[in-house]
Amino acid sequence: MKVTLATHGGLAATVNLRLPPKVLDTDTLAENAASELARLVAAAVVSPVADQPSRARDAMSYTITVEDGGRSTVLKQSDAAMTPAFAALLARLQEYLEQQ
Amino acid sequence: MSKTSRLNCIIPPHLLKRLLESQDSDVRQAALDTMLTTARLRGERAVRASFAGPAATATGNGRRTVFDCDQGSFLASAVMARSEDGPESADESANRAFGGLGLTRDFYKEVFQRDSIDGHGMRLDGYVHFSVKFNNAFWDGRQMVFGDGDGKMLGDLTRSLDVIAHELTHGVTEHTAGLVYHNQSGALNESMSDVFGSLVKQWSLKQSVDEADWLIGADVWTPGIDADALRSMKAPGHAYDNALFGKDPQPDRMSKFIHLPDTEEGDSGGVHFNSGIPNKAFFLAAVGIGGFAWEGAGPIWYESLKASSSETQFQDFADTTFQKAGELFGVGSAEQSAVLAAWQGVEIPISGVPAGVARGRSRTVDGNGGLSRQDGVAALTRQVGELSAQMTRLAKDVAALKGTG
Repeated sequence: MKVTLATHGGLAATVNLRLPPKVLDTDTLAENAASELARLVAAAVVSPVADQPSRARDAMSYTITVEDGGRSTVLKQSDAAMTPAFAALLARLQEYLEQQ
Repeated sequence: MSKTSRLNCIIPPHLLKRLLESQDSDVRQAALDTMLTTARLRGERAVRASFAGPAATATGNGRRTVFDCDQGSFLASAVMARSEDGPESADESANRAFGGLGLTRDFYKEVFQRDSIDGHGMRLDGYVHFSVKFNNAFWDGRQMVFGDGDGKMLGDLTRSLDVIAHELTHGVTEHTAGLVYHNQSGALNESMSDVFGSLVKQWSLKQSVDEADWLIGADVWTPGIDADALRSMKAPGHAYDNALFGKDPQPDRMSKFIHLPDTEEGDSGGVHFNSGIPNKAFFLAAVGIGGFAWEGAGPIWYESLKASSSETQFQDFADTTFQKAGELFGVGSAEQSAVLAAWQGVEIPISGVPAGVARGRSRTVDGNGGLSRQDGVAALTRQVGELSAQMTRLAKDVAALKGTG
């Protein structure tokens, strides 16, 4: 499974736009870590997106693209309105990406 | 290959109930979290709606409360770290946020006689230590949220007073012009936050236009990052230039306007990019007028913000500042001439003013002649200003006639 994280907007939007998306191949993770990430993805997928507050300013948005077995799933949420499931996935993903 | 987009997708309640019976514990937990979140959001919306309007914040008196998110991402779970009447916190981030909220509130009160963000004493709530290694600070429409930074690229966002004032000014803009956060109106929205963010810093340090650094977020980068700031109002496009994220892309004039798609990926049409153009205009006007910027260009911009609307474009705003400069300092005044030259400097000539007039004043403001020189150009500027004032009065008369008709 390949998981890509793209970050947009924020106070430093001009910088974030320049930074390339970060990619994690779960084959590089330990088996238990990879299966935990897969569970977090599944949980985030069934979690409905909360209404995005239109008055939020400088909040960052995150696009997580999951490619697995020819199927692509795109999850997108922002700082200003994030579901617990998406937040859990994002936190773990950022942790693994930082270790790369 | 199939592609599933989760944008704006709401799972119906009956499906959520089925997911609660899933064999997978994470799926069950997610369904439960979702139902709780949805219920909470519905509750919040209902409560908010029942308090809609100025009455919702009238009793706040600009009182500050800072909450500690303790690295969590949910504001509802944060605990209070410092209140208006409470003791100082042991947490320096909470104290810095508290101080920044107060300085911004006091600036608007003392300089513009504005009672907090909404003009009706809106309470000021700040949330520190949001999420883990969070490289951002934002205004969520009601309160301000600060990250600690990842320590590699950005540091603690509470360290930067102009960033705090920048975010709170988004609230002021929302309660005045309501500039739509897309394309030119969105870039103006961003510019207003930079302008008043910088002014709060200058006011707190009692800096003249010559002493100010005109930088936004000079304190946010870690020492290891080769960058002066997030943005430079004096020199848009020159806040940073390094191998990690390249050169500051902000334009400083209309011929360099950056056209980006009106999407999140395109920064809503480049709102953080093209704000460099009105930022530079403000800098030029402030320096042209001289002294303390919050006494000269500041009031002109503030009155223009209040006179603007949600769809105001760069040209509209430039014209309004010219008119407001005439109203505040006199038609044909040095201040109005400085505003005229400032917009000419970013290639936005004031509507109805012959290009030669602006060029003449531009040369003067650039420092060769001094602003006190009265000549035929100033007389013409005065005439144009008077005509502009007459047009405004005429428009008001027409509106009043329509109202009584």
